Amino acid sequence: MKYGCRPTLDMLDVKKIKSQFPIFSQKPEKGAELVYLDNAATTQKPQVVIDAITNYYSGYNSNVGRGTYWPATQATQAFETTRNKVQHFINAKSRKEIIFTSGTTDAINKVVSAFLIPDLQVGDEVIVTEMEHHGNFIPWQQACLRKGATLKMIPLRESGDLDHDVFEDLLTSKTKLLAITAVSNALGVVNDLHRLTSKAHEVGGKVLIDAAQLVTHEKIDVQAIDCDFLTFSGHKLFGPTGIGVLYGKEELLEAMPPLSFGGGMVKKVTLDETTFADLPNKHEAGTSNISGVIGLGAAIDFVNGLGVENIHAHTRELTEYALERLREMDGVTVFGNPKERASLISLAVRNVHPHDVSSFLGERGIAIRAGHHCTQPLMDFLKVSGTCRISFGIYNTKQDVDRVIEGLVEVRDFFA
Amino acid sequence: MNGRIKELYKTQILTNAKDETYFAELPSATHVLEAYNPMCGDKYTLYLEIEGEEIRNASFQGYGCAISRASTSILIKNILGKTLTELPPLIDQFMEIVNENSDQSPESISDDKELLAFAGTREYPERKKCASLSWDEITTIL
Repeated sequence: MKYGCRPTLDMLDVKKIKSQFPIFSQKPEKGAELVYLDNAATTQKPQVVIDAITNYYSGYNSNVGRGTYWPATQATQAFETTRNKVQHFINAKSRKEIIFTSGTTDAINKVVSAFLIPDLQVGDEVIVTEMEHHGNFIPWQQACLRKGATLKMIPLRESGDLDHDVFEDLLTSKTKLLAITAVSNALGVVNDLHRLTSKAHEVGGKVLIDAAQLVTHEKIDVQAIDCDFLTFSGHKLFGPTGIGVLYGKEELLEAMPPLSFGGGMVKKVTLDETTFADLPNKHEAGTSNISGVIGLGAAIDFVNGLGVENIHAHTRELTEYALERLREMDGVTVFGNPKERASLISLAVRNVHPHDVSSFLGERGIAIRAGHHCTQPLMDFLKVSGTCRISFGIYNTKQDVDRVIEGLVEVRDFFA
Repeated sequence: MNGRIKELYKTQILTNAKDETYFAELPSATHVLEAYNPMCGDKYTLYLEIEGEEIRNASFQGYGCAISRASTSILIKNILGKTLTELPPLIDQFMEIVNENSDQSPESISDDKELLAFAGTREYPERKKCASLSWDEITTIL
């Protein structure tokens, strides 16, 4: 049997890992057993993350950085320990460079308003790519429109890879910033961050990397990449929603005005003026999402326990297996053929709308994403209104791939 | 595959999604509407030729899923030759058929098999907008 599922050691481990995610032991009333292939949208949560959040609320709920009683001490310690974990997770030079936000989008918007806009002049240039998620596109577009700056776009080659030749032509002395995704959430293209960053730096441009999809793909090293800003969300890393990270080089965060104003980010306030706290508190006004931060800390421990490289090795194997099977299927088109692909695949079933595909698969308990994936400029490039996206996580197996393939065959034949 | 989803895509929906009868531009249109769902990108242009109170001619073009395409085609079929005052009860009837919170059974609302085919979206609230997309848009001329 060509596609028989041999119980390899890897798969046995995956079974054990999967058992740590309580959602997979749910027995839904209507739907079939869950095959979760929408990890690029959000990952499922392991029990350790859920427990960390519950333990905070039931065991030591308190605000952080203020109280002088034991739950406050414990909460502050858990909160600030997570900052250290994030620092090491992305290899930042200092814990001061880690700012908690509500997510990737929030972090990007804050860089736009506190870093880009104050100095943006008419005629300045910001470069993004055609593959950006709206979260790393609209904020820059709107800033440029407001300030009379120019938004330039790095186009894609047929394969889905960025056209580096055009990119280098786009760079000028007016380039203020390059905002780029590490991994396309719609095509799975992995970008060459080192090369892009160093080229932008050559003309004096700063670089922001949207690492939302990178966190489970490879070990991030902001010092090696030398990016100026990097953002990601907890919920794509097995952590809770509503928590994200803005990494920024210390000197930039230091020079920037506060990302927002309020309690907890000040040294001294008088009726006439305010002096701001040191990094990182300067950029974290108000009560943070404490349970989110603590949950993120547990998620990073979970990921470190498995090893990002092991997660990626597993999901890459599944992606390759899926690509092999999909390419053998009549009536299915896979979008993009990049040099390096993350663990996601965008596809179309001939003459069947993506939402019809996802509804049919959904009925089988198979969760995929259909639509434009918040990348409408990319959909224009592909000349489609949307695609079907399969994205893998650590708990997926080859049987999951087989089930989605069976589902796609049935959809194709039903609509034929 | 579970029959429930196939029930949603009853023959009427699949047949009407492929039906080309009303799929055309209408140069004589007096009203051109755009039914667009930004969540999924489905987009239909609705062409209406209205003389006085009467919808003399109507057609549509565009792209979307089987459910939205079929419901748009059936909408055009149903409004052809109708007067504007006849539209609200028709639209209300359709909206009630697809309303998952309705206390009326679909069969008690209409006996039109084509309209009733969309009652399946009651089971799939995330697909309700597909069914109602063009029906919502048409209300803008009233």
